[in-house]
Amino acid sequence: MGVDIQNFIEGLMTALHPMNILWVLIGGFLGTVVGMLPGLGPATAVAVLIPITFGMDPTSALVLMAAIYYGAMYGGSRSSILINTPGDGSAIAATFDGYPMTRNGQAGQALTISAIASLIGGIFAIIGFILLAKPLAAFALKFGPAEYFLLFLFTLSAIVSLSRGKMVKGFIAMAIGLMLSTVGIDLQTGVHRFTFDIPQLSEGIDFLVVIIGVYAVGEVLYNYLNLDRLKNKNKLGKKWITKDQWKRSKWPIIRNGPIGFLIGVLPGAGGSIASMLSYTTERQISKEPERFGKGAIEGVAAPESSNNAASVGSFIPLLTMGVPGSGTTAVILGAVIMLGLRPGPLLFEESPEMVWTLVNSMFIGNIILVIINILLISVLVKILNTPPRVLYPLILVLAFIGTYTLSYSVIDFYILVIFGIIGLLMKLLDFPIAPLILALIVGSDMEQNFRKSVVAHDHIMNVLLASPVTITLSILTILSISYPFIMSWVQNRKSKQADAA
Amino acid sequence: MNKYLFSLLLVIAVVLTACSDTGGSDDASEFPTDNIEIVAPASPGGGWDGTARAMQKIFDDENIIEKNMNVVNKPGGGGEVGWQYLKDQDAHTFAINSSLVITNNLLGQSDLTYKDFTPLAILTTEWISVAVAPDSEFDNGIDILEQLKEDPTSLKIAVAPSLGNNDHLAFVQAAKEYGVDVTQLEFMIYESGGDVVTALLGDHVDVATMSVSEAKEQHLAGKLKMVAVGSNEPIEGLEDVQTWKEQGIDLEFPHWRGVMGPPDMSEEEIAYWDETISTLVETEAWQELLVNNEWESYYMNSEEATEFLEEQTENYNQLLKDAGLID
Repeated sequence: MGVDIQNFIEGLMTALHPMNILWVLIGGFLGTVVGMLPGLGPATAVAVLIPITFGMDPTSALVLMAAIYYGAMYGGSRSSILINTPGDGSAIAATFDGYPMTRNGQAGQALTISAIASLIGGIFAIIGFILLAKPLAAFALKFGPAEYFLLFLFTLSAIVSLSRGKMVKGFIAMAIGLMLSTVGIDLQTGVHRFTFDIPQLSEGIDFLVVIIGVYAVGEVLYNYLNLDRLKNKNKLGKKWITKDQWKRSKWPIIRNGPIGFLIGVLPGAGGSIASMLSYTTERQISKEPERFGKGAIEGVAAPESSNNAASVGSFIPLLTMGVPGSGTTAVILGAVIMLGLRPGPLLFEESPEMVWTLVNSMFIGNIILVIINILLISVLVKILNTPPRVLYPLILVLAFIGTYTLSYSVIDFYILVIFGIIGLLMKLLDFPIAPLILALIVGSDMEQNFRKSVVAHDHIMNVLLASPVTITLSILTILSISYPFIMSWVQNRKSKQADAA
Repeated sequence: MNKYLFSLLLVIAVVLTACSDTGGSDDASEFPTDNIEIVAPASPGGGWDGTARAMQKIFDDENIIEKNMNVVNKPGGGGEVGWQYLKDQDAHTFAINSSLVITNNLLGQSDLTYKDFTPLAILTTEWISVAVAPDSEFDNGIDILEQLKEDPTSLKIAVAPSLGNNDHLAFVQAAKEYGVDVTQLEFMIYESGGDVVTALLGDHVDVATMSVSEAKEQHLAGKLKMVAVGSNEPIEGLEDVQTWKEQGIDLEFPHWRGVMGPPDMSEEEIAYWDETISTLVETEAWQELLVNNEWESYYMNSEEATEFLEEQTENYNQLLKDAGLID
């Protein structure tokens, strides 16, 4: 499409309209808040606000809903970092190193870097949007069942690096996650699998319920067992990051903005996949992988840059093709259709000013959000001073509320409690949790795409070799699985040589 | 302390009696006496939810119903969860429905049929289209059917979100009319209409069957080519697309949505909904909603809706048998 300077400036002017700035502010703040609460994600927030957008100008409605979306990307990591309970799927990766940083008394710095990383990732993605929206949309279309299958497989291969040191336990957790992902109606045949005649199970087990159960409820139960030993020794630490921390985070942020953006553009992937992939990529290419999981600041920066970029990227298929790239954009699509706007291939030609207003408002919104989020840090870290007997019941309440808003079903409460107990057991037995969650997130899509791709390409080998994309992904997957083993082999050899010398 | 407690109890008792008094007299004279609840048996964002929220808004904005109204989302099981919930409510609750209330039962996925409820109205319909890639060799629906007649497995057909739904059955019916062995057809099932569009745009399937609203913009932009629609008459704004009838296939396939109430509603209650809903569908706001969503008015009152559902049940039974989904 090229950058149409005139439309761009017009869009900037509309975005700077006080009313639109107000919507960005409201949306961004609201998004940050719901993002922080476990289970209340951007999709729910947008859905609840649909009645408010009735009668609004479609452009303003779009600006507001987009602000909620990326606001939630900022907010989601807050609770991951402070209390080890991710607000939604794309904030899981922030728990891996964010929570250990809090334990090390660096909560303030973790929150700061996550806000800065989100900002830079978001800005990268907006620039990418301006320059590359159309060609990227065309590229995303090339992703058929075979490509998606291999992308999910590649994501899943990250389990090897997530389970380092406890490989067998990691694979057990993954197997449980994959099994759980088969619950529900099988799309290709319409057969009900493991639903036990409970209609609520027919759409599968929502991975968000599992996340809330394993993380939030599991964490509360775990702390309950250790209540005597629990002391408020958490310091907030410094708020501002040190030079050394910035040096460590700089490149991970810059690398993972584009990665997250590209994954966000794919209609079949999204923020959860983007942040997981970014985290594991950084861990694998790091010179000191042993620091990860123990409070490495780059382990917070990378996924945060990535998931915010993905949220911007997911607007590309929506605005260029009318195809939602994530759960949240699907709700946004439904809402703007009600307003008489039909995003599709004609939107760029027919109402370019709307697209450019949105893009500009995202730019403004990201800057507003980084300010809001950094200002909020001093308030948020107070959570750490809250006595456990107040904090943990509160988390439990929020967990149940969040769960109920997912599908308004009481059955989910039982699932929540069951996974809370599973989460507790996993913690006690020292099982890694991430492989289970990751397998559950990608499992169902991976399976469906695999089966569609076998139908389309007739044979499994043809699936692997279907296109340059699948070949690249196959190679990356093999590398990702074998990399840790090769590395340890090389190190062994080195140390042996050193011994010999 | 006890004194306070006693007076408090007294106040509560008085208030409660007062309430039940007025409630009782209202009950006898006019329905509704309570807040209205609209059940959307799906998550926010889809057609069911959109219909429910639009009804709520227009009923309220146009002062058709004075009572408060709430939309509750009860997603799961292709409507099953919401409809199970409706079954135990009183006449102040109604739910959105579609052909799934018939096919879920026929496919053995549910015990409920429309007979377990009180059909109140059919409201809207969408039409279902067949589309191909713009550079496809097919220029009309018949060419596709001709090839499928020779080799039913030669084309990959995209549909969402499940076998046995309208998008799927509309294609099956057209193919059957032409003499294709429909049990052999190769369908690829995607999660949503948006995924079907993406699959077709990316050339991952040969043919797609989906609602007109999902394909229209793409067709107008030349990104894909609609080659047949299941409506009676050509669709406004899409006059270049021939209906199946114009192509010689006797087929009219509405993808309708309606509303139904709990079982055992009184005649008076049914009459109330007939009156309010018939007013609703006449409003300008409703007409605008239809245009925005590419829906068409398909209004039938409670009596007509009941007959229509009976007719549809027979029709679907036959179609599912033909498709080889049931014996």
